[in-house]
Amino acid sequence: MIRASIPGRLEYRDLAIRLVASACKLVPRGTEDFANEVVSAFSEALNNVILHGSGEAAGEIEIEIELREDRLMIRLMDHGQAFDPRTVPRPDLDSLPETGLGAFIIQSFMDEVAYTGGTPNTLSMTKRLKRATNR
Amino acid sequence: MKFTRVDRGDHTVLVVEGVLDALTAPEIRPTIEALVQEQRPCVVVDVAGLRLIDSSGVGVIVSLFKRCKAFGGVVRVEGLANQPLAIFRLLRLERVLCAKAKAPEGLGR
Repeated sequence: MIRASIPGRLEYRDLAIRLVASACKLVPRGTEDFANEVVSAFSEALNNVILHGSGEAAGEIEIEIELREDRLMIRLMDHGQAFDPRTVPRPDLDSLPETGLGAFIIQSFMDEVAYTGGTPNTLSMTKRLKRATNR
Repeated sequence: MKFTRVDRGDHTVLVVEGVLDALTAPEIRPTIEALVQEQRPCVVVDVAGLRLIDSSGVGVIVSLFKRCKAFGGVVRVEGLANQPLAIFRLLRLERVLCAKAKAPEGLGR
């Protein structure tokens, strides 16, 4: 288990994203696509906590990353306002929306997304490795 | 993030490098605003040096595209790779923003 804690400010975004990107490299058979999708989803989840979940008022954001042979799990915990990305309507991509894309990116790139509001709010995301049958 | 605007006649190349996200997007917005106000006819956004983009960064580029299109301008994104390419593909922006438009030789990459 990898654990980190960052202040709920955008200035710490890049640091947290680099941590997740590095963790992706530790997943056996993890591909570049796998890492790109995990990093993209995590990046949006972090934005949601910082921008919609009261930002600094949310205090420290705790990040837990669990590596398995066939998957990577991330838990993001904060003490701000609850924001469940699963409740955001799917955007109409044909209309070229400029906002409201973060939750869609999270749910599209991760295989499992769960959210529990409370103390703390916990967003759990799992990304599985694709089976290697086509390799 | 680092960005550079180069004008050549009617054409503008906007080179964006590093990270275009919720933190850095506000830095580039005045330049986007200027391109729209000046009604630049052809803008190439060169993202070959872009390491990471999030939905805020995408919003900036889509906004530029839509606003330029409104006055008849053309915006094209070039150099997509890695994480930015994954995002553009998911959001089906590749077909809209990366289509080859009319541009004189020597522009972009």
